[in-house]
Amino acid sequence: MSYEIKNVWSVLLRLFHWSLVLSIVTLVVTGLYINTPWTNTTLEGSVSFPMATMRYIHFLAGYLFAAAVMVRLFLYIFGNRQERIFDILPVTPRNFKSLTTTLGYYSYLSDKHDERLGHNVLAGIVYIVTFVAALFQLSSGFYMLYPEAAFWQGLGGSIFGTQQEGRFLHHLLMWYFILFAFVHVYLVVWNDLKSPEGLVSSMFNGKKFKHKNV
Amino acid sequence: MQEQASKIDMNPDISRRGFIKSCTVAAAALGLSEAMIPKLVEAAESAQRPTVIWLHFQECTGCTESLLRGSHPDIGRLILDIISLDYHETVMVPSGHQAEKSLHDSMEKNAGKFILVVEGAIPTADNGNFCKISGRTAMDILAEVAPKAAAIIAIGTCSSYGGIQAADPNPTGAKGVRDLVSGVPIVNIPGCPPNPITFLGTVLHFLTFKRLPNCDNLGRPLFAYGRRIHDHCERRAHFDEGRFAEEFGDFGHKNGYCLYKVGCKGPETFSNCPAARFNDVDVWPVSVGHGCIGCTEPNFWDSMTPFYERLPNVAIPGTGIIADADSAGMKILGVAAAGAAIHAVVGIAKSKIKGKEKRER
Ligand code: HEM
Ligand code: HEM
Ligand code: SF4
Repeated sequence: MSYEIKNVWSVLLRLFHWSLVLSIVTLVVTGLYINTPWTNTTLEGSVSFPMATMRYIHFLAGYLFAAAVMVRLFLYIFGNRQERIFDILPVTPRNFKSLTTTLGYYSYLSDKHDERLGHNVLAGIVYIVTFVAALFQLSSGFYMLYPEAAFWQGLGGSIFGTQQEGRFLHHLLMWYFILFAFVHVYLVVWNDLKSPEGLVSSMFNGKKFKHKNV
Repeated sequence: MQEQASKIDMNPDISRRGFIKSCTVAAAALGLSEAMIPKLVEAAESAQRPTVIWLHFQECTGCTESLLRGSHPDIGRLILDIISLDYHETVMVPSGHQAEKSLHDSMEKNAGKFILVVEGAIPTADNGNFCKISGRTAMDILAEVAPKAAAIIAIGTCSSYGGIQAADPNPTGAKGVRDLVSGVPIVNIPGCPPNPITFLGTVLHFLTFKRLPNCDNLGRPLFAYGRRIHDHCERRAHFDEGRFAEEFGDFGHKNGYCLYKVGCKGPETFSNCPAARFNDVDVWPVSVGHGCIGCTEPNFWDSMTPFYERLPNVAIPGTGIIADADSAGMKILGVAAAGAAIHAVVGIAKSKIKGKEKRER
């Protein structure tokens, strides 16, 4: 049994991935703080600004998050073969087969593993849903950040309604991202244990191991 | 008391001063320069006071009550000096057929020129049967009067967006004026109740510049609703520096700390309350220790409740559980974790049963 090394993920995609991870972890922690500031003080004039600082970090991470999402949008169109959006949409027979094979594989109904360079299509669909969630998350975020700006007021007002309604959705979507991160990390590790293609390290070095004859 | 009142009215100096003061307060609220005050005064005292027709629909009359207690303008000056209030059920003298006649006459005489003020929501379910005045539904009356107005001022959250009547499940199908009328300029002055100064500012703006003030995407004049409460709040320093009241009556509350953790909706609500304040004694909810409840925003009875929590509750579909967003999220995450654990165990068990064949492959 021999393997060969294939280049799968571009540097830009890996940068996107780890910026996204870094920003989301920061955003969830600071976001929870903004919702329920768990520190409380009676000190006055102590020149410490916990709430202002947490919000500032949240906004910085928000910009990183928004930049990462823009990069992914670029790669959906101009990325390499694995990165383009048509590789993960169940629109071709090949992709549709990937979806059904993966469902069988994940539910232990069959041992057949869809050996492809890019994402399997089940994962791909979830990534697209996540991408759309990210668009809503960042527009509700910017809607709260720049409530007086005509652009965000018009956009946010027509998508979310009032500031409070935008904020509520922003908070609910946070739970989507927490849930996604949990299931995602579980499945990536599970895949890495089940088939030795070097899935986890592929997100660091961009390379996967594939059977030679495929 | 009576003697005093008539004394003030008879003293032209005090009267004049109060009048100019009202105009000055309105200019400040509008953000106009000092140089504009004479223009406002001139417009306000011009011989042709604009006719105002004031319609009451599904409401509590709180907006009128608040206006009656305003002193800039006080109600007497508003009615006698600035506008000509031809029809207003609460303060007018005629009643019954006489009242209906004065509405009708004034509307015909001033068609295309009068300002229509609407207070209260308009129920639309069952053909609008839930609110009738002299046998006609609110929908009918509005449809007759609104097209003849030069401009419409929707005063209060009810006539702007439906208010409490429109709260879920909105049994009477209550709606705001902007949902039912088109073709006439409409300005919304929401609030429960709104500040009389905002009303006066809007009227004077209309008189001086012959058009309604610039508005945001919800039809609220920017001079009064251009900023969030939170951004002008006197407790904001406590917010930034992390000093909060945890519950009413605790140390933080007694010391005037930020009310964010007891559900203040200032961060989500547009209004000039912290700047304009109420009732001549310079108070507003947050200054007397109660968080903002977001009363100037559409759907506030649905989206701003529970009033003492930051965010509305969520119902988890199919379970009957109503919880705050975070405990709902934790529950769902718990289910996902249990799912992952079962998935992992099934995988391990299966590979144990199947033996080592796969790993040797
Ligand atoms: C996955 C991404 C994100 C998560 C999980 C997240 C989470 C949160 C949470 C939980 C809150 C508190 C809301 C509340 O419950 O009261 C919040 C507030 C906020 N977020 Fe985000 N957020 C994310 C992305 C963003 C982005 C991209 C921006 C845009 C710069 C942003 C801007 C804001 C703003 C302006 C607030 C309101 C802060 C305040 O009013 O004090 N967020 N976020
Ligand atoms: C240490 C933890 C993590 C590791 C090892 C990891 C690893 C990976 C790997 C190997 C892939 C490709 C999987 C495939 O081909 O289907 C991937 C994709 C992805 N991961 Fe992670 N991940 C981690 C954490 C996260 C977190 C916390 C998030 C965000 C909440 C995240 C978001 C994504 C997204 C959106 C993709 C799809 C990339 C694309 O659009 O092409 N990851 N990750
Ligand atoms: S009391 Fe309310 S409006 Fe004032 S700073 Fe605190 S949260 Fe903001």
